[in-house]
Amino acid sequence: MATVTLRELTKKFGAAAAVDRLDLDIGDGEFVSLLGPSGCGKTTTLRLLAGFLQPDGGEIRVGQKVVSSPAVLIPPERRNMSMIFQSYAVWPHMTVFQNVAYGLKLKKLDGGEIAKKVERMLRLVHLDPLAGRYPGELSGGQQQRVALARALVVEPEILLLDEPLSNLDANLREEMRFEIRRLHEEFRITTVYVTHDQAEAMVTSDRIAVMHQGRIVQLGSPEEIFDRPKTRFVAEFIGKTNILRGMLESGRSVALGDGLKLRVLAGDGLAPGKEVFVCIRPHSLRLTPSAAEAEAGRGKGMNLFQGVIQRRVYFGDANDYIVELPAQRLNLRVVAPPTQKYEAGQKVFALADPEQCVLVGEE
Amino acid sequence: MSIPQTTVAESAAGARAFRLRRFDATLPVWMGAALFVVVLMLLPLGAIFTTSAFTEKGLTLGNYVEVFTDPAYLKAIWNSVITSFWVGVIAVAVGALLGWLVTRTDLPFPRAVRALVMASFVTPPFLGAFAWTLLAGPNAGLLNNWYRAASGSETALFNIFTIEGLIFVMALYSFPYVFSMIANVSELISSDLEDAANILGASRWKIALTITLPLTAPALIGGFIVAFLHSLSLFGAPAILGLPAGIHTITTQIWAFFQYPPRLDLAAAFSVPLLLATVGLIAVQKKLLGRRGYSTVGGKGGQKRLLKLGYLRWPAFLLVAAILSLSVFLPYGILLKAALSKAWAMPLTLDNFTLGNFTFTFFQYGDTQAAILNTFKLGIATATAGTLLATLLAYITNRQLLRGARYLSFFVLAPLVIPGIVLAVGLFIAYSKPPLMLYGTIWILFVAYLTKEMPIGFSQTESTFKTIHPELEDATRIIGANRLRALKDVTVPLARSGLIAAWSFIFIGVIRELSASILLFTPSSKVVSVVIFDLKEEGQIGAIAVLGILLLAVSFLIILAVQWLAGREFFASSRG
Repeated sequence: MATVTLRELTKKFGAAAAVDRLDLDIGDGEFVSLLGPSGCGKTTTLRLLAGFLQPDGGEIRVGQKVVSSPAVLIPPERRNMSMIFQSYAVWPHMTVFQNVAYGLKLKKLDGGEIAKKVERMLRLVHLDPLAGRYPGELSGGQQQRVALARALVVEPEILLLDEPLSNLDANLREEMRFEIRRLHEEFRITTVYVTHDQAEAMVTSDRIAVMHQGRIVQLGSPEEIFDRPKTRFVAEFIGKTNILRGMLESGRSVALGDGLKLRVLAGDGLAPGKEVFVCIRPHSLRLTPSAAEAEAGRGKGMNLFQGVIQRRVYFGDANDYIVELPAQRLNLRVVAPPTQKYEAGQKVFALADPEQCVLVGEE
Repeated sequence: MSIPQTTVAESAAGARAFRLRRFDATLPVWMGAALFVVVLMLLPLGAIFTTSAFTEKGLTLGNYVEVFTDPAYLKAIWNSVITSFWVGVIAVAVGALLGWLVTRTDLPFPRAVRALVMASFVTPPFLGAFAWTLLAGPNAGLLNNWYRAASGSETALFNIFTIEGLIFVMALYSFPYVFSMIANVSELISSDLEDAANILGASRWKIALTITLPLTAPALIGGFIVAFLHSLSLFGAPAILGLPAGIHTITTQIWAFFQYPPRLDLAAAFSVPLLLATVGLIAVQKKLLGRRGYSTVGGKGGQKRLLKLGYLRWPAFLLVAAILSLSVFLPYGILLKAALSKAWAMPLTLDNFTLGNFTFTFFQYGDTQAAILNTFKLGIATATAGTLLATLLAYITNRQLLRGARYLSFFVLAPLVIPGIVLAVGLFIAYSKPPLMLYGTIWILFVAYLTKEMPIGFSQTESTFKTIHPELEDATRIIGANRLRALKDVTVPLARSGLIAAWSFIFIGVIRELSASILLFTPSSKVVSVVIFDLKEEGQIGAIAVLGILLLAVSFLIILAVQWLAGREFFASSRG
């Protein structure tokens, strides 16, 4: 059983803790992303998992076995893991075939079996016609596939990926996200995927761990992370968002300045009478010029804002508006369909479903 | 698993020991290599300090007092300082000019000029000094003969056996160091930096003076220090040019201390200031180059445009050709002439032509066959062992395999600041008594060369390793290879051309080595450079020329071979 358990995992570089008492449980066959901005400790966590680094505190267990702790360090070559690197790290002096076969040779498999396994794997990643090529003759995407094939062919218990797509161009990146998910569904290898790109994490992962300053600030399914961010950091890091500051009154009502009250989705552990933040995604807001429609919406329990269009940016597939709320002295960002056109200075109403107004804490 | 509760310090230490013992099977290799090189460096240095400061009666400064009060010894120090200073000045002037002309202007035939500077670099200074005694000796020197024939005068125009002559020759073989530093820096200065000044209205020459020159200033000062130190450590040139005129330098004086009756204590005491001066200057240089210098220059992307010299183009080329004829054409010409003629000072006519010098050198003269064999055996052995050791050490420092790996490179690079003859003093003392009785065998030369060439091998392999992305190696480890296997399968093959270059640098360094060999050889372990020195005493001009040509020919063949291999490698890596 390749479950992975991180307990109180700590790694310091000098005085600063790059990974700070981090806890994480990964189930067998699960795909977990470590998502965060650069410097949040996600790559360090991955290199700790691989055994390239030794922790200063805590431990890593695979199944019941401790593989890393301040007292124990099973070297990378004896962990039965595979890793995909940001730079692909495809060996330039070996052909595609030799690259993929290398790990099997280390396992001392006989030649015929190696050839069979390599060929099957190359077919799977659509590289079979290129087996004799050198990496220098391949595109970035093809090199990435070589790296994938090389990592998978040894049938690892655990697969680690370190920003594998960040060197690819945008189109290829999108394609490879699905490819990685497809291969995961094929092999069901326990996988840890490090990225700073939320879309990658959303497409590929069963669960996402958002990291900040060496700790996991939220762990959950892509939907939970996006729709129910727990902290302001998560809300702002994952996608665009409006953050409104207010006072929590009773369980589900937040007072903004100037008498406007918002009905919100209940937040955990936030006490009334405290300053809180409300997160509203720009696409959760609906604009309308009609006062009647606005009133009807309010009648159905929607939150209603009154404002003036300050600026419009046309993106082709959407209009991006900045709506000024004079009474609250703040701006809302709203994403509207391209057919909804308002000019700067026009008065509008914005409606928001309380289910999509999420209370978040400061941290 | 249960670990007993202990204090933090104890458990950390225990953890380390546990980790090393239990899990990294390749550790003994790294520890062994590191320990070996530390001992290799510490033994001779320790020997120098103890011999200089201890007598049977205990700790004393007597040796230091003796060497630093005797006017003759002080004069030798002064000679070294003054010659090295002027060598530094001339080398910077010539090296910077050539470096700038080749990299930044439309000077004709830049590749040929580079190749000839490389030739000056490869020429052993003692060989150049010897050739110049044939060219500008006051009595029979070729240039003086020409002058007498042309002017009808009875006196000589040049006398190479003077301080000025010594400065001149040492500068000829020191300027390539400055050249390569300047050429490297100035290739990195993009024309954007110069264009920025141009757009503000500066003229071409103003730009050269106000932008290009200041950007290269750190390299100029660094070049001066390197040339200064290089000339300070030379033994052959001052021995050949200075000793006949009674001019001693520090290095020839150390050699004289070894002549009968040997005064090891004084030699050791005399070595210490040379050592300290070198250490100090290298520190200054590091500081200079470590600051802004290269980083501001390091921008890539910017294009480099060549400055048009205009009507100065050919005059500049003539000047360059003249300089290179002093360091290459004239010396090589006279060596060739001396090798092929019965009487070297006579015109090379059919009557005067002979191959007798070759048969004499290779088959009749007693020492040469054994010396040639020794030289190449030592060259191959040192280059092979040195490359292997340098690979392991560079790998340790590059991957921070051991605690304190950073400090390891200090030890490896230490010989850079140890002049060859000082190293020889230390090795002689350290290895001429049991239990390490190497003196009298060829092994002491092997140890000397290995020590002396370690810095070049190490820096070459280290800079090669730096270009190899560590993830290439991590990728081998995570799928089951241990460190040694990763090194063998991935890092070394990828570093191949750098390792071949390291091997060749060491080999060429060994076959031309004189200043350490001169103190460490015994009759049974002579090498070519020492035989040349002996032949000089005997006046066997033709044989020296033959051996000199042999050394040069082998060096150039090796360089060509490396360029060919590296070229292929480069080709392969652009494909693969």
